[in-house]
Amino acid sequence: MLKEKDYHLHDPTWCPGCGLFGVFASLKKAAVSLKIKPEDMVVVTGIGCHGRLNNYFKANGFHALHGRALPVATGAKLANSHLSVITVSGDGDAYSIGLSHFIHAVRRNIDLTYIVVNNMIYALTLGQTSPTSQVGFVSISTPLGSKEFPLDGPRMAFVSGGTFIARGFSGAPKQLSRLIEQGLQHKGFALIDVLSPCITHNKINTYDWYKENTYNINQKKGHDPKRRDLAWKALNGGDTFALGLLYQEERPSYNELVLPGKKSLVQSRTTVDRKEWDRILQKFE
Amino acid sequence: MITDISILIAGKAGDGVLFTGNVLAKILKRQGWKIVTYRYFPSNIRGEPTSYTVRSSLEKIHGRGDKIDVLMAFDCDAILEHIGALAASGVVLCEGRELVRLKSRDRKGKTFHAFPMRELAREKFGNEIYKNMILLGGLCYILDLDFQIITEIINETFLKKKGKDVVQKNIQAIHLGCEEAKKIVQRGERYLLKSRRDLSRLLMSGDEAIAFGALVAGCRFFAAYPICPATEIWQWLANYFPRFNGLVVQTEDELAAINMALGASYAGVRAMTSTSGPGASLMMEGFGLAGIAEIPVVVVDVQRVGPGTGMPTKSEQADMTQWIHGSHGDFPRIVLAPGTIQECFEFTIKAFNLADKYQCPVILLTEQDYGQNYRTVNKFSFSRVDLDRGKILTQKELLSLKDYKRYQFTRDGISPRALPSMRNGIHMVESNEHDVRGYRDESSKNRKKMMEKRMKKLKAARKDLIRPKIWGKSTADIGIIGCGSTFGPIQEAMEQLYYSGIETKYLQIRTLWPFLGTEVEDFIANCKQVFVVDNNYEGQLAYLIKSQMKQKKEIRHILNYSGHTFRPQDISGFIHKAL
Repeated sequence: MLKEKDYHLHDPTWCPGCGLFGVFASLKKAAVSLKIKPEDMVVVTGIGCHGRLNNYFKANGFHALHGRALPVATGAKLANSHLSVITVSGDGDAYSIGLSHFIHAVRRNIDLTYIVVNNMIYALTLGQTSPTSQVGFVSISTPLGSKEFPLDGPRMAFVSGGTFIARGFSGAPKQLSRLIEQGLQHKGFALIDVLSPCITHNKINTYDWYKENTYNINQKKGHDPKRRDLAWKALNGGDTFALGLLYQEERPSYNELVLPGKKSLVQSRTTVDRKEWDRILQKFE
Repeated sequence: MITDISILIAGKAGDGVLFTGNVLAKILKRQGWKIVTYRYFPSNIRGEPTSYTVRSSLEKIHGRGDKIDVLMAFDCDAILEHIGALAASGVVLCEGRELVRLKSRDRKGKTFHAFPMRELAREKFGNEIYKNMILLGGLCYILDLDFQIITEIINETFLKKKGKDVVQKNIQAIHLGCEEAKKIVQRGERYLLKSRRDLSRLLMSGDEAIAFGALVAGCRFFAAYPICPATEIWQWLANYFPRFNGLVVQTEDELAAINMALGASYAGVRAMTSTSGPGASLMMEGFGLAGIAEIPVVVVDVQRVGPGTGMPTKSEQADMTQWIHGSHGDFPRIVLAPGTIQECFEFTIKAFNLADKYQCPVILLTEQDYGQNYRTVNKFSFSRVDLDRGKILTQKELLSLKDYKRYQFTRDGISPRALPSMRNGIHMVESNEHDVRGYRDESSKNRKKMMEKRMKKLKAARKDLIRPKIWGKSTADIGIIGCGSTFGPIQEAMEQLYYSGIETKYLQIRTLWPFLGTEVEDFIANCKQVFVVDNNYEGQLAYLIKSQMKQKKEIRHILNYSGHTFRPQDISGFIHKAL
């Protein structure tokens, strides 16, 4: 039987108290509960503090270029659909430099789980304003306060045809690991935006701040993640963030649509026989 | 006897120039002629000048020639643009009302036929669209083309897509044009072509040859973003891949295209992407990732005119330096430059084997010229294609290892690969500098060793690369060096020089990087004068040679950055003057 320690390669060296510890623990928990063998798992990360995750997590890992985690993950999943592909990004990686890949992965409904560790700041580069930073946010890059409207990943996913949209909080690891589990089981693109405090550089959006400004939607009466109208309402909560599974819809994944035979590309025949060869070249005669 | 003839069809984009040219090329090809097509067209859909040359020869040809024999023009502007290239005895077919606009000095020595194609099309079919087939009919008379072959090709072109009625009308239009030409073209003004039905050759573009090569090489994943002039590779693969359980993905941009290909390759499938111009620049980032992560990938750059958006549908050789030295940081890469359709096919298979064996990016550097245009090539004979996947461990081998290290130091620098989902093969792929297991390691000791390990692979690859080829007499002391599309014009320029008493030899460089210096040094040492032919402004090939050459010797540059490829005369004329 697989245990959490089977996915634990090293103790992380993130700043003590970093939200990423919650993500790390939740991911291990979800993998245990779904009994995914480490060799069948690929964890692709981008650039940022989150990017170290697969240096600590025991599975196949791919630390991609800044913003390009999703295309790498997409290629790997399409080549071998047997793999459980989990992609982890930060808010800069996912919503700034990799935004285009994010939107198109959502549209494609590619079958993978995307965890965006959202700390509303660029932490690895020592504290610049990020695309999810709130208006007025003061940082070394915006000493006079951010003048830009914050970008909301889950909301963007919703209008781009997202089929699984969730928001977690690294201070609520039980809920988070459940969301990751659900995301992994979802056939299609699963977004889990994780509010995750950066205790070193972001003194505004702290654990306490998140506790005050979030609520669990799945405990709230009347929310049904299958209903678009309710999901949209939950996604537009004004100053507070709804945590939980916000929206889910069943739609064939890209993988199912483009490879209906269910045979992975790595299993494809790599040869062309004489008959095929001749028939193909006949077209050029 | 006519052994070489060039027919140019010219008009405005939207006139159907491309379509007419394609049909004509197919007819002549099936009549046993060797073909080179040459399109010069704008990067928009309607309104600007466009032209299509079909050069046919009984001799071996590899490029557009120097002169045009028959000019079929849809308007006066087209005549004015191309009359300079018209042979002294050339024939022009155009509508009377357009010919009126010509001045008498333009007409000197040439034959002009007023050919009422639009009028006939309206009269007979009530639709000007048939003007092209009427014009083609006129040409059929002039060249004495085989009606059976024409009918066959019209059938193949239209029957499935448009039905019997359209086939009939097109054939009627061709007959109509032929009858009209009989009335106006004198017997002595015809070019009666010898014809022998021949299906042994293929009419193929370099893009298509690369796509077929990729299929044969076992590539089953292709990701790309639409761009001229590389999209034909994708188009072809999109049609054929589904039958072989292969997949073509249209990505959001070239950044995604190369990274997706890397993801797929990492998971174990042979993967390719293709691009040009600005797309090649965007791919620089992922190119470096392939280098440090040691992931095999084949990238095709069908070069177009740059920089910026440049001239998207025109040809140039100005991306060489970028692929040889490009992306930040040092890493091993292999850059191949095929010069013919046959080489496009062969080098593609080779590229996949090299990528897998040396676990590095391999670039196939071609050009719009032979990328998008069609040429005849001897049918690729079926043979068992040798697919070398390099050091990929089997499950059994992996289980017998005590401690698998993805980036293990080895004598040749190549470390055995495990694929994700293999037991006992868990590993990390890092875009950061990493240790033997793939985990981030920024210590300077490790950095040095890892850098040397990666670069060492190129040393091992040297013996495996495609050597340069020498053409012409070895005793000649005038040397010409070129790569890619300059192959055809150089060959013909050598012939032209030979007839004027100048003997030359030619070194065709086929692997640009790593630079195979020995042959080049020897070649240059045995020449009194050396000319390097470059289809770019800065002389990128000459620059590369100079940077790698040990001996001091003057090298003359023959340059062209007009958006056109070289004509043989551009090269022979330059050498003539220089001597």
